[in-house]
Amino acid sequence: MEKYLYIALFAPLASSLFVALFAARPKMLFTGIVASLLIGVSMIASFILLIDVNNYGPLHVTMMDWISAGNLSIPFGFVVDEVSVIMMVTVTLVSTIVHIYSIGYMDHDKSFNRFFSYLSAFVFSMMILVMSDNFVGLFIGWEGVGLCSWLLIGFWYHKHSASWAANEAFIMNRIADLGMLMGLFLIYWQLGSFQYDVVFANVKHLDPAIITTIGIFLFIGAMGKSAQFPLHTWLADAMEGPTPVSALIHAATMVTAGVYLVIRCGELYTLIPHVGFAIASLGAFVALFAASMALVNNDLKRIIAYSTLSQLGYMFVAAGLGAYWIALFHLMTHAFFKSLLFLGAGNVMHAMHDELNIKKMGGLYGSMKATAILMSIASVALAGIYPFAGFFSKDKILEVAFNEGAYFLWFALFIGAGLTAFYSFRLVMLVFFGEKEYKKQGLHPHEAQNFVIYALVPLGLLAIVAGFFEHAFHGFVTKLLRNYEIHIDHGVEAILIAATLGIAISGIAFAIYMYKRGGFPKSLEERACYKILSNQYFIPYAYERFIMKPFTALSHFFWVSIDTKIIDATVDLIARVFYKSGEKARKMQSGNLSDMLRWMVMGIVVLLIFAILYRPTV
Amino acid sequence: MEHILSLLVFFPAMAALLGFMVNKESIRAYAIGVSAIEFFLSIILWIGFDASNAGYQFVEYFALIPSYGMSYYLGVDGISLFLVILTTFTTMIALIALNIEKDIKNLILSVLFLEMAMVGVFVILDIIWFYAFWELSLVPMLYIIGAWGSTRRVYAAIKFFLYTFAGSILMLVGILYMAHLYYQATGVWSFALPDWYMMQIPFTTQLWLFGAFFLAFAVKVPMFPFHTWLPYAHGQAPTIGSIILAAVLLKMGSYGFVRFSLPLFPDASVYFLMPVAIVAIIMVIYAAMVAYAQEDMKQVIAYSSISHMGIVVLGTFAMNAEGITGSIFLMLSHGIVSGALFMLVGMIYDRRHTKLMKDFGGLASVMPGFATIYGIMLMASVGLPLTIGFVGEFLSLAGFYRISWVMTMLAGTGIILGAVYMLVLYKRSFFGAVVHEENKTLKDLNAKELTALIPLVALVVILGIYPKPVLSTIDMSVQKMLVLMEQKAVEQSTKDLIINANTVGGTK
Repeated sequence: MEKYLYIALFAPLASSLFVALFAARPKMLFTGIVASLLIGVSMIASFILLIDVNNYGPLHVTMMDWISAGNLSIPFGFVVDEVSVIMMVTVTLVSTIVHIYSIGYMDHDKSFNRFFSYLSAFVFSMMILVMSDNFVGLFIGWEGVGLCSWLLIGFWYHKHSASWAANEAFIMNRIADLGMLMGLFLIYWQLGSFQYDVVFANVKHLDPAIITTIGIFLFIGAMGKSAQFPLHTWLADAMEGPTPVSALIHAATMVTAGVYLVIRCGELYTLIPHVGFAIASLGAFVALFAASMALVNNDLKRIIAYSTLSQLGYMFVAAGLGAYWIALFHLMTHAFFKSLLFLGAGNVMHAMHDELNIKKMGGLYGSMKATAILMSIASVALAGIYPFAGFFSKDKILEVAFNEGAYFLWFALFIGAGLTAFYSFRLVMLVFFGEKEYKKQGLHPHEAQNFVIYALVPLGLLAIVAGFFEHAFHGFVTKLLRNYEIHIDHGVEAILIAATLGIAISGIAFAIYMYKRGGFPKSLEERACYKILSNQYFIPYAYERFIMKPFTALSHFFWVSIDTKIIDATVDLIARVFYKSGEKARKMQSGNLSDMLRWMVMGIVVLLIFAILYRPTV
Repeated sequence: MEHILSLLVFFPAMAALLGFMVNKESIRAYAIGVSAIEFFLSIILWIGFDASNAGYQFVEYFALIPSYGMSYYLGVDGISLFLVILTTFTTMIALIALNIEKDIKNLILSVLFLEMAMVGVFVILDIIWFYAFWELSLVPMLYIIGAWGSTRRVYAAIKFFLYTFAGSILMLVGILYMAHLYYQATGVWSFALPDWYMMQIPFTTQLWLFGAFFLAFAVKVPMFPFHTWLPYAHGQAPTIGSIILAAVLLKMGSYGFVRFSLPLFPDASVYFLMPVAIVAIIMVIYAAMVAYAQEDMKQVIAYSSISHMGIVVLGTFAMNAEGITGSIFLMLSHGIVSGALFMLVGMIYDRRHTKLMKDFGGLASVMPGFATIYGIMLMASVGLPLTIGFVGEFLSLAGFYRISWVMTMLAGTGIILGAVYMLVLYKRSFFGAVVHEENKTLKDLNAKELTALIPLVALVVILGIYPKPVLSTIDMSVQKMLVLMEQKAVEQSTKDLIINANTVGGTK
């Protein structure tokens, strides 16, 4: 079975390197096909491993040594257990579809080949991230996906906004990475190893204060990748990248790496429930916070990005409260319907010639039925309507919050569910139904190529049926993860489910009702609360004003005032003192005999005084 | 094999003397040949090196002036081995990339003499010789900057020379005093480093001697606030000067800490640990911020060198095998990465005769090959895992974490600030639209440039993925040194700190 492990891991790398050979050439169709095939191979290997893990248990290999110094020793080791194999399957499945989709989407792009090289490199990094058997290996993948995200957000680098967003994402993630590194160092100096098995076996013997510190540091790392408040601004800006990238990296896989980390460290977080509760609270806050921003935004992709942010919040609630398998389940179902939503949005963008403002679309159902249906399925799943996938996973998270007695969190998520339903259908209504605003711009939208639609069908199916795998999934992953049972009275549970479904359906109904009638009045946009929301609570502005500006000014001050005017000037001053005194002293050597004699007398006097006064002690 | 070290030291100098007779047209080929042979010799040295022996190998000893304990004494261990290889490798690569026409013969001979001095510094075990090589390395560099530099070259060259020279004077006093101490203790004179290692020095004396050596090393590294010569030297030096300066000359300072300060004065090193670490952290943050404010691409890299050297110093003073091994590895990786970055800046300068970022923009579309290699080096510079830059930085910071987690976190901001100035540089120069007409017709890398760059790229990746052969060799000698430090420390608190710094577990 090791063979399949290496195939699953290295097929994406092979794909990336092979395609990179043609990166500088004009578009070659076969690069896209080869890349898709190799990622497909990786997916098949992952599925084989899934069956294998189910039958025979986890697989653990050590490939070779990497770093060793002092007591430290880090190998390249990989583990395929119940958690990582679920991640592998999810990642490769979505990646394969995104690769195939991109053949169509990037059709006219002159950097077609380069795109596939980056995309496959991303899949490789993600596989390293989920398959590593130690924290530093995870960190390789962690930084690797960060690099690929940078490359892909800034893929159209001639656009200022794209390269700016790429840098923002990288730097924000770096801030969080520092926290993560600190966590790793602490783990090492406490336990002497980075291996998961060693760390989790021994972590319970540590001082609770230290476990808490480790937990906080690692979560800071997770906050960066999963774009949790206050490190969330990069995710919406990352929508500058090509849409398949948004679907794969910024919806389905990379942004869930933080959730994966918390799930993976479940045994550590179980020991520190107070930190877990803080994570859950932050998650619930982000769930509402992001959903509120999605309500008023008019940018097709940004709405979905905020929705992703909000759903990540849901996952953190589950993970923080100790329901790791539920968090992982939502992670998986979310990957399916959210990538579908993004890819559908990509079709819309193509049809609309890269127009992103949903207010300028409308009535696209007529010309793109398949996309409209797929996106509606994804939206229903996202809203959490039975029997779609989102219902099963999201409802469980609400039940967990209720079960833990965290009624406040439950209420936040409950409201969030209503908002989610509303903004999802606001988007669907504004894009596919109502007035055909696009006609004013003289556009003739057309449906995407057939193979692109076919590639999306599996995701559509999964968005419908994935929820029914709940029991099988539960039984499978809880072999490794701590089991979490919900003990709520059946009657209460039924009421909760009904309430959640109720608020979701009313959200949808409200959106349909309002936008059938032409939407909200314009006057609403003048209100302060609308302005706050549409400006993202002025947070990006505040970062620019209170962090970037002062940093730039301080850097400049350090350079101009301190480095040049103080430090270097002091050095030059010392040099000048020597130089000038030499210059002045030169006059003594005038060559005039009487002057020279006078100096000589003076010298003798000085020497005499010295001889009289100085008494060596020896 | 017995005389391979002598050969390594003096072969470039001999070749330089012979080089006076080579005519101007063939001097480039001659120099590349010589440096390739030299590099080959250093590889033979590595092959012959016994990785299970932590002590000095290939030792050559010849008593020169026995009455004063001066000898010709060479030896190499895990700490110096790779610095020697770095020196020969960098010199070879820099000569391959060289494309100056003016007085090329003089330039090449200077570089070869410089190579002798640099290799000498790393393999010599007699301190008088060490001092001689240390100072000798200034002369060719003075000439290289002063004769082939840009407009303010004379100012920069003299500043470089006088500053580093003045810094070393105190070291000479320290050296003589050490020998005197040895004479008092044993009745014979000796300038041999292994002899000095055996000597226990009283605490207060250690403090003074540490200070005397420290200034010389601190100017060389360069540590804040002794760093201002560096931006001038880099700003004015020709590309080959910058490459060698960044890749090797700075490492002489940090090598000095590992080779002299720590094992000779363990108590003083521990005593001054916090002040040194604070200065190192200031270097990391301050230099990174100044780098961010620069307009000139080359100055960004010059200041980034200071920032990275801060991490090197921090790792050295972690007092554990993780940190010191990491810092030595970081010296190597910084040598390769900053050397490559200076080379890349030189290549674009040759094309456009400007280094200001505002004169570029959109280079990625005009020169994709150049942009790719620049990108790889940039990622290595910010310490991305699986590149050479990560290993040393990770180990250095990990090592220092045992001493103080707060200070490690402050120094760790270097990984954020490093990303800030590097990515901003990359964005301003390579991304965006091509706004300047002159940039539209720039040629991508040619065969000669690729020959120089591809080995560097290969090393960045190979040593990033498989650093173990290098690390374990360094680690062996570092552990031996730590044992020595612990044994000869005169204060119990020093022993405790060293032991604690090297133990996993416990509450700290």
